[in-house]
Amino acid sequence: MFKKILFATTASPTCDNAAKVAFDLELKWDAKLYVFHVLGIPSRGYSPFVTDVRTGEIMEPDPDYIAWVKEEMKNTYDTLLADSENAVIEAAVGVPYREILRKARKEDIDLIIMGSHTRQEDIGATRYRNIVGSTMQRVAKSARCPVVIISRPCTTCWKLFSNIVFGTDFSKASDYAYKWAYRLAKEVGAKLHLFHACDLNTSATGVSIEQSEIEDQIAKAKEKIEKRYISKMNGYDNYEMEVREGIPYVEILKFAREKTGDLIVMAHHTREVDPEKAVLGSTVEQVVLRSACPVASVNHPDKVADF
Amino acid sequence: MNAVTLKKDGAINLNGKTVRSDALEYLSFQIALEKGYTLRSFFKMLDKYTLFAKLNDFFPTYTKQYHSCAEQGCKTGLLDYLEFGKTVEMIGAPDKRLEIYNALFGIHASEATEIKSMQLDSLLDLPLKLGRLKHIVFGDRVDIFEFDTVYTLFELIDGIGWELSFHATPEHCELRR
Repeated sequence: MFKKILFATTASPTCDNAAKVAFDLELKWDAKLYVFHVLGIPSRGYSPFVTDVRTGEIMEPDPDYIAWVKEEMKNTYDTLLADSENAVIEAAVGVPYREILRKARKEDIDLIIMGSHTRQEDIGATRYRNIVGSTMQRVAKSARCPVVIISRPCTTCWKLFSNIVFGTDFSKASDYAYKWAYRLAKEVGAKLHLFHACDLNTSATGVSIEQSEIEDQIAKAKEKIEKRYISKMNGYDNYEMEVREGIPYVEILKFAREKTGDLIVMAHHTREVDPEKAVLGSTVEQVVLRSACPVASVNHPDKVADF
Repeated sequence: MNAVTLKKDGAINLNGKTVRSDALEYLSFQIALEKGYTLRSFFKMLDKYTLFAKLNDFFPTYTKQYHSCAEQGCKTGLLDYLEFGKTVEMIGAPDKRLEIYNALFGIHASEATEIKSMQLDSLLDLPLKLGRLKHIVFGDRVDIFEFDTVYTLFELIDGIGWELSFHATPEHCELRR
């Protein structure tokens, strides 16, 4: 399912959790893993200098310097590389998200793996800054393949994962996400949890929804899940469907926790908008921020069209 | 500044008297914590003053979880106590900005530790203290200063709610096939 995986890393401890998952996946799928680091251009426009992530010094990125960075990356990931069979270390100079997207396009990557932040954040501080690092946000928005975001140590094991939670809002983008989640669940024999939360907060202020109306909404959502997803499963029976009422991101996090989810799969944006104009939907953002397990954001039909 | 004392049993005390159940007007009051105050006392307060539980989307989940925990002995040996602190960061580049936020963290041997990977049942009976204000200046070098400060009731409830929303780690890994 994954022949080529791109692990976009800052080569700093903030990406250690993502690194473990990336190398695990390489072994699991016998894939080629590109461990890719963009040195970055400092804030003063298109300066020829870069800031070294380790020393903080301003450097001029000549070929020798890039070779040195690659050597440093090898040292950083030496333990993981020892077990790896098909990983290549690569570094480039440029604006990180552009270089990552360029690399993904050039190599026809099937999956991008990233950490959610480029630096360690205090939880309190997270609230007042971009929830997701802007590089990650831009990559997730424009990538033509699924992007897996890892923000915490993976307490459950991706390599052996058993529970995939697919959160849907019944948008077209959710259909792409479903295809990917279903294919993945089928390939690894994991249980696929199809989940939808009826957002009751969207009703007009002061209008209370009656219980019968809530039940009606839930019944309709179940029907939609049956029609849109379950009917396309071709006899695959290892699934469960759940519809709850509440705030979508709270409910999906609760549900993933209850089911000991190893992966949450969601559409990149939750409403019917042009993928080119979409930013990371707020539900995905809130889920990425808090989820204990990796979150896969699917943005584009390209890599799922033939599933 | 008007002040209230938060009691171990979850009650809010104003001038020696327990305030009535509708306590919204005290949200802007400065707080002092009674000796022996714990995270459990905080949840007892949410039980007593139910409107506070509406301040954060995750409170209903965690209140439910709190009720299923043992009535005592819910603490980890990895931490000495919990500290609620305030941080003011001045950031010079690339854009100048000032960030002020509250955070709840664990303290062990005078070192701050993240608590998001810990389950609620290992934190409930740890003492909860109010910390000093940390002023961090990110310039050519990083300078950190500490000052005495005060906290309002709203800051405490909102800050703890925010922190708890990250406690979503499953308790075990279930392998099926």
